[in-house]
Amino acid sequence: MEPDAQLVQRCLRGEGPAWEELVRRHTRRVYNLCYRFTGNSFEAEDLSQEVFLRIYRTLASYRTAFGGFPTWLTSVTRNLLVDHYRRTRHDRVTDSLEDVMPKVEEKHSPVRTPDKAALASELSAQVQSALSRLSPDLREAVILRDLQGLEYNEIQEVLSVPEGTVKSRINRGRIELARVLQEMGLRPG
Amino acid sequence: MTWTCVQIEERLSDYVDGLLSASEQREFRAHVDSCRQCAPLLAQVTLVVGRLRTLEMEAAPAALVSKILDQTLGPRKTRRNWLGWLPMLWQPRFAMGTVTVLATLLIIFQAAGIRRSDITAASLNPVNIFHAADRHVHLAFARSVKFVNDLRVVYEIQSRLQPAGNPAPNNAEPSPVPSQQKSPNESQRGHSANGTFAFATAILADAPTRSSR
Repeated sequence: MEPDAQLVQRCLRGEGPAWEELVRRHTRRVYNLCYRFTGNSFEAEDLSQEVFLRIYRTLASYRTAFGGFPTWLTSVTRNLLVDHYRRTRHDRVTDSLEDVMPKVEEKHSPVRTPDKAALASELSAQVQSALSRLSPDLREAVILRDLQGLEYNEIQEVLSVPEGTVKSRINRGRIELARVLQEMGLRPG
Repeated sequence: MTWTCVQIEERLSDYVDGLLSASEQREFRAHVDSCRQCAPLLAQVTLVVGRLRTLEMEAAPAALVSKILDQTLGPRKTRRNWLGWLPMLWQPRFAMGTVTVLATLLIIFQAAGIRRSDITAASLNPVNIFHAADRHVHLAFARSVKFVNDLRVVYEIQSRLQPAGNPAPNNAEPSPVPSQQKSPNESQRGHSANGTFAFATAILADAPTRSSR
């Protein structure tokens, strides 16, 4: 598989197929980051398009010295998500845990078929619901670390904060998420 | 040195991610194993992190890549593929349609008495197909002409039957029909047959006269 850096160089020479390959390679990752952060598939789709549009326009400013292309892409996505969050903060009506709980309990109904796909989908919805309870700082740290699988130094680059802050946010985010999911019924054993 | 609960909570992720040194790990475990608050917290965080890592990425909407490419590279021309219609044939509705057409053709061939052995490579020649079709059209036309002519004769017979069916008492021509001597009931029952016979006899009797005229 051709490295991202080479594809970027080809893109800068005006090769459309190289850009198409970059888009195909990273769309799912960007979409998931947006989806996990916003919790809304339509918003995530719009934001993903916005991310790639921004990447396309600023591709010439990408330098390998910044780190890998995925890290740069994640960084652009994260900045856009923060902008989006600030823009829509006042419109957002955060649902209380009491509103979420009945939905989760309904999903625990014994009549549900306990097949793997259904369980995975249920867990995904639970996690999404719990993530929305976290503050944006903690949420993005947990998403980047545990859902996107980034290393600490990559998260540090993406968030542009010191390593200690990254560690602290991930730790607090995990503990907070664990408590929320425990209240929702996810317990060990 | 024994760790406190606050320290445990602060280094929880380091432990989960394996970032503690061997001595730190021992102290961490020593506290957690004897603490009723930290043990369940560690278990819960470990569970959640484990579950998060098993979660598969959500699939991006199918049209997302196309939308992005359209927005960045502009609307792309779709390549013309002459065989692009072939996959459509695998759709159930086309399969059902094909089966229906084949069944209809089979029924038509059965009804027309066409056997599979009759169909050869020569019969698929357009010239032969044209000749066969032409022959069948002419045959059909000849049959219909004959049918119309037959109908004319039948109508003529029927129109002449009317007077023969109601025999006048003072019929001038002596009728050789024996049915007239039968009982009224019998006469009524055999009305049609006797009438036809009478008329046919009359036609035959009349024929030499007409031809002589």
